[in-house]
Amino acid sequence: MITLTTLFPVALVGVMTCLLPALVAPTVPFGVRIPADRVGEPVVRRQRRIYFWTVGTVTVAATVGAYFGPLWLVPIIAVAIVPIALVCYAFARRAIKSAKAAGNWYAGLTQATATDTTWRSQPLRFPWLWALPSLAILLATVVTGAVRYSNLPDRLAIHFNANGVADRYVSRSPAAAFVGLWPQLFITALVVVLLLLTYRSRPETDAADPAGSTDRYRRFLSRFARGILVMIALVNATMLLASLQIWQLVPVNSSTIGLTSALPIVGVVLLLAVALRTGQAGVRLNGRGAATTSVVNRDDDRYWKGGLIYVNRGDPAVVVPRRFGIGWTFNFAHPLAWLILAAIVGAIVAIKTLSR
Amino acid sequence: MLLTVDVAGTVPLYQQIRDRIVEAIATGEQPPGSALPSIRQLAMDLGINFHTVNKAYDMLRQEGLVQLNRKTGAIIASGVPGDEFAAEWTARLRTLLAEAMAQGLSPEQILSISRDTLSGFAPPPPARDEKP
Repeated sequence: MITLTTLFPVALVGVMTCLLPALVAPTVPFGVRIPADRVGEPVVRRQRRIYFWTVGTVTVAATVGAYFGPLWLVPIIAVAIVPIALVCYAFARRAIKSAKAAGNWYAGLTQATATDTTWRSQPLRFPWLWALPSLAILLATVVTGAVRYSNLPDRLAIHFNANGVADRYVSRSPAAAFVGLWPQLFITALVVVLLLLTYRSRPETDAADPAGSTDRYRRFLSRFARGILVMIALVNATMLLASLQIWQLVPVNSSTIGLTSALPIVGVVLLLAVALRTGQAGVRLNGRGAATTSVVNRDDDRYWKGGLIYVNRGDPAVVVPRRFGIGWTFNFAHPLAWLILAAIVGAIVAIKTLSR
Repeated sequence: MLLTVDVAGTVPLYQQIRDRIVEAIATGEQPPGSALPSIRQLAMDLGINFHTVNKAYDMLRQEGLVQLNRKTGAIIASGVPGDEFAAEWTARLRTLLAEAMAQGLSPEQILSISRDTLSGFAPPPPARDEKP
């Protein structure tokens, strides 16, 4: 059981990292923007092949190593996949960038930026109903804890090791009893606020097909946001289970420990399944509307540092869709992005202090 | 409407935005009373400076084509054209027609192209309210 819960994340990280180039737009291979007619260039196809086989082999080796190897090796293996993939990514990126510059791929093309104003006149509605399970679980945690509090022993076990034996005790207090609640509140609030911000930010619009790309993005955001809310509900459920263990309402045995590991993983798997189907910003969904214009998306490589970090002072957006990855990232030239990060760090520090 | 702007061309961005919106009004894509994104939203959606969009919307407001509202953003106006507009526009049209003639297009060609372009626009709304 323990082997499986450590093995599965390793395999999962490896598989998603390996498949990532196939999940992003073909016009931004490895974070390099290219015109649509260059998508099939030999250098692009070759780099995608190299990346896939290298990262794939590393993933298989890592999974096998994690299964047969000693336990202490597993975290090292799990952590090693991403840097190796990053190195492949950097090499692929360099090859494509130099081919693009040498071949002057944007010569003679009209570079544009476009928008479909129906994104604002018919805005996507936030799926509040899907946030209800998280709120219900939060409420259940508060109520159960409040009712149980008077029956708790003076010495409370708040942490258990891998075998289910208690290894940290504190004296009974509301802060100690509700040690599982603060992370629940924080994560739920953070995710809802960031999602609300995302709903107000701009879609991934392709100037060559503004209507189609905006429609695909709508469907992507709709599904992905619901997937995120489901994952948060499962994470909240995990923390409720941990609280029930602390409150001695649920035994600490291999089944309950297994459940606390399994629930979040299920949430992540569901979310990744959505991403596999839709692709980043919906690029893998069937287009509704053919390529309608003769323009291409402008070459905005200079704002994407390393193809991963977006810094653009002339762009009023705070949240933008990722270029190489699933989901969104900040415009780090915008002060609000740093404010949000500071607030997150501050909240984490506050929670850690409260749990002391 | 779909709004596309050429970022590397010679026409300024604010002019392109203003021109595309005027064309959308003419084709009926943005009928009187319909909403445009707010200045902030359009700047964010195109990824360009707020002041560029502000300039374009301000031009449209001064031309009487758009009403700006703090709460609802921008609404396409439904008013009658002023006399000054027709005179100024005729002067600009004279230059445009002169360009075509100077470059060798015949009057018949010019009229034919004009007819085709106009047929792509929506017919004017039946009754227009007087603007105060």
